[in-house]
Amino acid sequence: MTITFPHMGRMYIPVKALFDDLGVKVVVPPPVSKETLEIGTRLAPEMACLPMKINLGNYIQSMEKGADTIVLTGSCGPCRFGYYGVVEKEILKDNGYDADVVILDAPGREPQVLLNRIRKISGNSSWLKIARAFLQASKVVEQVDEFIDILLKKRPRELNKGETDRVQSKFEKEVLICKGSGETLEFIEEYKEKAAQIPERPGVQPLHIGIVGEIYTLIEPYVNLNIENKLGHLGAEVHRGITVTDWVKTHLSLDMIYKRERKKKLKKAENYLSLCIGGHAWETIAETVHYADMGLDGIIQVLPFGCMPEIVAESIIPTISRDKGVPAMTLTVDELTGEAGYMTRLEAFVDLLSQKKGRVYERS
Amino acid sequence: MKIGIPRALLYPIYIPLWKTFFEELGHQVVLSGRTSKGILNNGVKTCVDDACLPVKLFHGHVMDLIGKADVILVPRLISIYPGEFICPKFIGLPEMIKNSVSGSPKLLIMNFNARDRLEKGYDGMRQLGRELGASNTNVERALDRARARQAEYESMLESGFSPKSILEKRNARQSPASVKGRIGLIGHPYLVYDDYINMNIVEKLAARGYEAIFPENVPLEDIELACSRYPKKLFWSYGKRLLGGGLTMLEKRKVDGLIILTSFGCGIDAFIDELLLRANQREYRIPQTTITLDEHTGQAGFDTRLEAFIDMMEWRGRYDNNIPAYGTDVYTGKSLV
Repeated sequence: MTITFPHMGRMYIPVKALFDDLGVKVVVPPPVSKETLEIGTRLAPEMACLPMKINLGNYIQSMEKGADTIVLTGSCGPCRFGYYGVVEKEILKDNGYDADVVILDAPGREPQVLLNRIRKISGNSSWLKIARAFLQASKVVEQVDEFIDILLKKRPRELNKGETDRVQSKFEKEVLICKGSGETLEFIEEYKEKAAQIPERPGVQPLHIGIVGEIYTLIEPYVNLNIENKLGHLGAEVHRGITVTDWVKTHLSLDMIYKRERKKKLKKAENYLSLCIGGHAWETIAETVHYADMGLDGIIQVLPFGCMPEIVAESIIPTISRDKGVPAMTLTVDELTGEAGYMTRLEAFVDLLSQKKGRVYERS
Repeated sequence: MKIGIPRALLYPIYIPLWKTFFEELGHQVVLSGRTSKGILNNGVKTCVDDACLPVKLFHGHVMDLIGKADVILVPRLISIYPGEFICPKFIGLPEMIKNSVSGSPKLLIMNFNARDRLEKGYDGMRQLGRELGASNTNVERALDRARARQAEYESMLESGFSPKSILEKRNARQSPASVKGRIGLIGHPYLVYDDYINMNIVEKLAARGYEAIFPENVPLEDIELACSRYPKKLFWSYGKRLLGGGLTMLEKRKVDGLIILTSFGCGIDAFIDELLLRANQREYRIPQTTITLDEHTGQAGFDTRLEAFIDMMEWRGRYDNNIPAYGTDVYTGKSLV
């Protein structure tokens, strides 16, 4: 059994560590590229959302490298993500790929099904070992996000242009060599140190921009055309509405303090949207209100074309923007999104924000 | 009070329930006009660009009711069957209307959430009835009558009538004079039953001698059975109906062809149509086509595609028994000898 999984930002780091700890052979899909997307676009239904197209590309590319079992998580609607596994399985079958698709769903009436599946993909390790591996992996998740957060702070302030990006790309290249969570955690620690030491220009007061929206689009840099780095280069500090850590803590952990905080945050959306409509639309609205209250300079919503829940959020955001006086913009991405047009919109948005702030920003 | 009900989205399915309920409570029900160019344009103008055609149409119908009614009913259908959902946009519909439609009309938001139990779904209507000032007994009586009407309506749908023929009291089925065959029309109620949006497809099929069968004509048990082939329960009620309805039509050899009507950008159809298409290709090999509708769809192109599909279907009927010399079926490749 050789396991693979779909890409979702830097999720591959903890997932690889997890399977390494369990002693299961795992293939990390090649980084998402144009080719990945082309494979996915060819196989997936035309109107499917972008994450699914990329997932399919990931699987095919991993299978070419020897993977035979695909692990993915699921949900029970109403967002389409919940039915990815089934549709993907059918598509792979018709195209002659014989892969075992294991869907890890929230346990409904039969928790045994989920437990059996976890047991299966963990190579029949003992439950103690599995629990420890999961715990370690969630630590890796948090550490990776902390590392990224340092980079986001550094990018608009860096003294030597491009240094932050260099640290990041070196990190992403080398992290795959680590085996197991222990090594990975040490490695991240080392890079957090490196990132913290990137020299800053004195007295820089960057714009603060919050990005909110559909989770996959926010987390996977290929899909959002690396919006974090682009905004960073334009001299803005980016605040991320949703991270892998948030997802893990909401869905997989028992961290009560976090859950209480989350509830409090969701309550902020009350005046605009007061129930879950699937996906992360509720979070999107809550984060938008939260950022507006925090006094950020601007908010950008990113969603993949046709994302059902985010369309509802998209129609609410202008009202929040008006009520709170914070500029907001929505960017829709799909496989046809061109980098130049996207960049122009980001530049224009940043220009307007800095004019609003009454000063000309310095390009870093 | 005059309560306006937009003639959009699930209107053709639930109108007996809604209308009877409010009328029993002593209110007057006003429907928005039939879908027209003006309503469509208004909808497209007010709604966010990314939304799908039916949601834009709903916006248009709400605009049409402004001034005609005191309040406008916006149903928030979260779940119409235990353990299932509908499209997320239905759940967020009141928010979309509130934030997009200017002139702030008074909205009557009616929740329907049967996620836990079917009976609990009606709690939203009860609450709304009380908010409208009716007593508990009156609300219960109105609800009972409304549900009885709805049940009657649904059983008529299952026995093969179309909503149009019931609601407009057309006589019985709209079957063509001589039936050449049947075509399964797979699509959400708001496309299949809106003659403006689907370019009158039912009549066009009838003109060519074909009778249309709708997903609503397939009994629920058959739908459940057909969908049980998938390893995971389908959690969209309408997705399940379309997929199960289509599969049942194929399985029972009820149809000579399948036409899938979908609106551009429909998230659920993207998956459902894919599953149906793949099952059909693998097992049944019945001619199938997908027609995507949006606000730009032109009549001429639509007609051409429909004609081409029917021609192809008929040719196949004529030449289908051409068995190649090596004795395999032309379509499935299975041996026939």
